[in-house]
Amino acid sequence: MSSFRGGIHPMKRQHGGKRPTRDLPIREFISDSVCIPLGARQGPPSVPCVKKGDAVKVGQPIALPGPGPLGLPVHASISGKVTDVVRMAYTGDTPVMCVLIENDFHNTWIDGIYGQREFSAITPESIIPAIRDAGICGMGGASFPTHVKLSIPEGARCDIIIINGTECETFLTADDRLMRETPMRIVNGLRLVMRALSVSRGVIAIEDNKPEALKSILAASANLPGIEVKKLRTSYPQGGEKQLILTVTGREVPSGKLPVAVNAVVLNVATSAAIADAVLQGKPLIERVTTIAGCVKTPANLLLRNGTIIGDAIGECGGYAKTPGKIALGGGMTGICAPNDQVPMTISTSGIVVYDEEEAQSLDEQPCIRCGKCVGACPSGLRPYILKHYCDEGDLIGAQSEHVLDCIVCGSCSYECPAQRWLTASFKNMKDKLALAAKGGNGK
Amino acid sequence: MSLRISTAPHIRKGVTTQKVMLHVLIALVPCVIAGIYRFGFGAALLLAISMCTAMLAELIFQKLAKKPVTTNDLSALLTGLIVGLNLPPQAPWWLAVVGSAFAIILVKQLFGGIGDNFMNPAMAARAVLLASWPVHMTKFIAPINGNFGADVISGATQLTAINSVNSPLTLSGADLFNHFTGNIPGAIGEVSKAMIVLGLVYLLLTRVITWHIPVTMVASAALMSLILGGDPLSNIVSGGLLFGAVYMATDYTTSPMTKKGQVIFGAGCGIFVCIIRKYGAYPEGVTYAILFMNCLTPLLDKFIRPRVYGAEKKQKEAKADA
Ligand code: SF4
Ligand code: SF4
Repeated sequence: MSSFRGGIHPMKRQHGGKRPTRDLPIREFISDSVCIPLGARQGPPSVPCVKKGDAVKVGQPIALPGPGPLGLPVHASISGKVTDVVRMAYTGDTPVMCVLIENDFHNTWIDGIYGQREFSAITPESIIPAIRDAGICGMGGASFPTHVKLSIPEGARCDIIIINGTECETFLTADDRLMRETPMRIVNGLRLVMRALSVSRGVIAIEDNKPEALKSILAASANLPGIEVKKLRTSYPQGGEKQLILTVTGREVPSGKLPVAVNAVVLNVATSAAIADAVLQGKPLIERVTTIAGCVKTPANLLLRNGTIIGDAIGECGGYAKTPGKIALGGGMTGICAPNDQVPMTISTSGIVVYDEEEAQSLDEQPCIRCGKCVGACPSGLRPYILKHYCDEGDLIGAQSEHVLDCIVCGSCSYECPAQRWLTASFKNMKDKLALAAKGGNGK
Repeated sequence: MSLRISTAPHIRKGVTTQKVMLHVLIALVPCVIAGIYRFGFGAALLLAISMCTAMLAELIFQKLAKKPVTTNDLSALLTGLIVGLNLPPQAPWWLAVVGSAFAIILVKQLFGGIGDNFMNPAMAARAVLLASWPVHMTKFIAPINGNFGADVISGATQLTAINSVNSPLTLSGADLFNHFTGNIPGAIGEVSKAMIVLGLVYLLLTRVITWHIPVTMVASAALMSLILGGDPLSNIVSGGLLFGAVYMATDYTTSPMTKKGQVIFGAGCGIFVCIIRKYGAYPEGVTYAILFMNCLTPLLDKFIRPRVYGAEKKQKEAKADA
């Protein structure tokens, strides 16, 4: 089997930090209120269509798609009363529009949800619009609108759908639990996408550190034509889209291109399950499984409604085990820091990891000792130690000549660096600058 | 609640520069013990002097230059120890002082400190000492083997003796064994090959280094000596080849970044050792071979680099489009 270059084993001795949660069944938690950000996905922010005081049901649209093909609707995740529609600070600098709903604890759904439709009753053309109407975006972290990903551009072709069940990130076990507990939804999602795009080959890729998930997915997909389950070597970032495509198909996505350039589409397992729910049951995307781990009293995998305040979810896990020093949404390698515990999680929040004060400290950056560990680790084949010089100096041209745009911001180089250098951070910064410059700004 | 905001990753491997240096120091402990056992407390004193000088030199230089003091990373201590281990046990104390100070100030700090020097400081120091005080640097004594009261008898290393008559280096069974265990005259650290191998195993297990440089260096030296008509095994166990291959050629800063580069680097070192041993004016080629390859390292790093994911196809495509 081909594989990507580089790669690391983060938190190897602690089994990737997955031990505390991997054997805990998914537990539903519905909080008193939610705060649903409308601009948390990629693409234009959705436009609110409810106002303060409105009563809403679960699954009812609270915001309409923003303009353009990337627009997505957003749905109420609990039933109750809209308490406010307001701009609020989220994880980024710019405040985003949020809809606040107070729970009436009736869990009243909109009509026409629970009927499971027959597979044969679904026409291929109806699938992608249904995915869009359900507000589905990538649940692996990138939160890119799924219907756009599935719209194969003119002239392009897709011959393989890959379902990403690698979950190579540290701490997270939400995908693992999903594969173990509801494998049929994942397999059905894959079948639907294959039908929509009339693709005959679907691969579900799972790292070999999840034997139970492998077994359960294998059983669920047995005798289904065209569906393969692939066991992959455990290595970070095996689940990186480009790395996964290379491992599974032997094809390399050309620099600066999308996976469809090599006729492949990759979807996360949770996304696949959401697709099955949307198409077969007409259920909009309003919840997800999130791993709550790190410095909390009882780590867990919680099924959370979109917009749950992370402090509430942490409270459900018994609260903090020690004074928290940092909270990051996502795993240890790529998570995004939350400014406080009053921000909401979203559909793309795969994990909430709490670090104690000691873990939150970072050692001072030291001079590079040219050990080459970063070069050995980089899955993109970059030379982080050189690239960092260009990025520190703000040299846009130099950074591009060292291929900063091919950096997938996986964090492997920083993880390995004995000099504790902030490699990934400076590359991300430079990529943001370049993206800004490309948009017409001056990059400063 | 005040939470820290930082960019990912939020976890680190926990290996620091200091820990890396500490591992190498630990890996050298067997060599140090063997050196002291073979050559007595004089050797211990030399090692202590060279380590202290190195630390002091770094401290004073950085204080005077108003730079942050980095002695905590232990790299100076390591350089000092390696300078000391490269000295003959009978060397005068000032040789250790000059060697360490030269290594730290001229080779390391003046080029910008840790990570910015292009030559291995300890190697460069040895080369300078060898060129400036050849008599002191090549006067070796026979081992006293723990008999600390014994008189020292000076003798030549096998290499010097053999090189002078210019015959191919071939050791017999008993000699080979003595070389392997270090029961021979030589520099403090490099005599006991068994201890060096022990250190190598430690460095490989702790993943401080990989096999690429030491193995290719030794293998290519063996091959080259065969080509030049010598005995590979004798060449491997004599002189500073193993010590250089394990502790000096593997220096991060002055060796290539990629595995491919490291293989070429190691092979180059091995080849040049044999060539210098056979044709050079100095009996021992390890120092110069490694320094020479150190100078080639920037070039190796410039041309040997990993292929960027997705890059080659882009070029092909561009060609196809044109
Ligand atoms: S963050 Fe970028 S440079 Fe660093 S290892 Fe990942 S892809 Fe390579
Ligand atoms: S891992 Fe850190 S110290 Fe090592 S070469 Fe890369 S940047 Fe330098």
